Amino acid sequence: MKDLNWGLIGPLLALQVVLAIIGLISLSKTEQVRGPKWMWVLFLIFGNLLGSVAYFTLGRKEF
Amino acid sequence: MRRLWALYLKEMLESVRSYKLIWIPVVFIVLGIMQPLVSFYMADILAFSSNVPAGLMENMERPAASSVMAQALGQYGTIGMLILVLGTMNSLAGERSSGTSELLMAKPVSSISVVAAKWTANFTVLVIAIGLGAAGAAYYTVQLMGALSWRDVIAASGLYALWLLCAVSLTLLFSAWLRGPAAAGLSLLLAAVMSLVHGLLPVKLNWMPASLPGMSAGVLADGGTGVSLAPIVSAVLLIIICIAGASLMAGRNKLPV
Repeated sequence: MKDLNWGLIGPLLALQVVLAIIGLISLSKTEQVRGPKWMWVLFLIFGNLLGSVAYFTLGRKEF
Repeated sequence: MRRLWALYLKEMLESVRSYKLIWIPVVFIVLGIMQPLVSFYMADILAFSSNVPAGLMENMERPAASSVMAQALGQYGTIGMLILVLGTMNSLAGERSSGTSELLMAKPVSSISVVAAKWTANFTVLVIAIGLGAAGAAYYTVQLMGALSWRDVIAASGLYALWLLCAVSLTLLFSAWLRGPAAAGLSLLLAAVMSLVHGLLPVKLNWMPASLPGMSAGVLADGGTGVSLAPIVSAVLLIIICIAGASLMAGRNKLPV
């Protein structure tokens, strides 16, 4: 891990950050989620890709 | 036709509002570009974990560009399919339990146009996701691993997309009949059973839609000498049957809780 090329890794990290931000915006707008809201905030911030996917598929009550 | 277009616009508006049109493509791009990056840095990742047996690193070869691209598409067959199916599962079941379908069916629209609009909206999300994801994967593979034939990449992604579309159509069919999570579980199970049965008798059952992922990898490996029309035809037939079945089910005014 001497010289990590940030030009390669950068887009990957940027996309994950974008996904987490979309998740947080969606979370702040919805009234009801499965489970407590603060748990999903932790999932979105620290759970990177899988945390965001879990929120979008399982967290929201779509009906 | 104008009614179908109006319903389609309503579905697309809903997938924008539920962020589905954004998050599914972003996840597909991340999955697509992760695979070439992991293959490229595999030596570093193994060295970093520090308990690699001596001699393993010497004869490790960098995989060929075409096999890395095939692995990237393979990601869509597992995690990608799960995400698409979970994103589709509530499209009819959710409207039934929220009461939207009662409002919709009271209007002079046929159930086939409702189902067709939903299918087309899910198809749009799938095409955008696979298109952007495969483009990202191909770009990273070309930059890191070596040249790829663009024609092969497009053909292989198209074949993979058709297989995923079969799973999405099955979900739509079951979503007309069961609750959302049950529909997702049943269609994932059916897709897994189809792959398993095809894996047991690959030569006799090479007309099944489940042989599309293998065919897609074959296109990348040898430029498409092993492509046959039968799985494509059977996949299209399966999709048509699913749409017809779903509109039959949705037309019946039984409203399960």
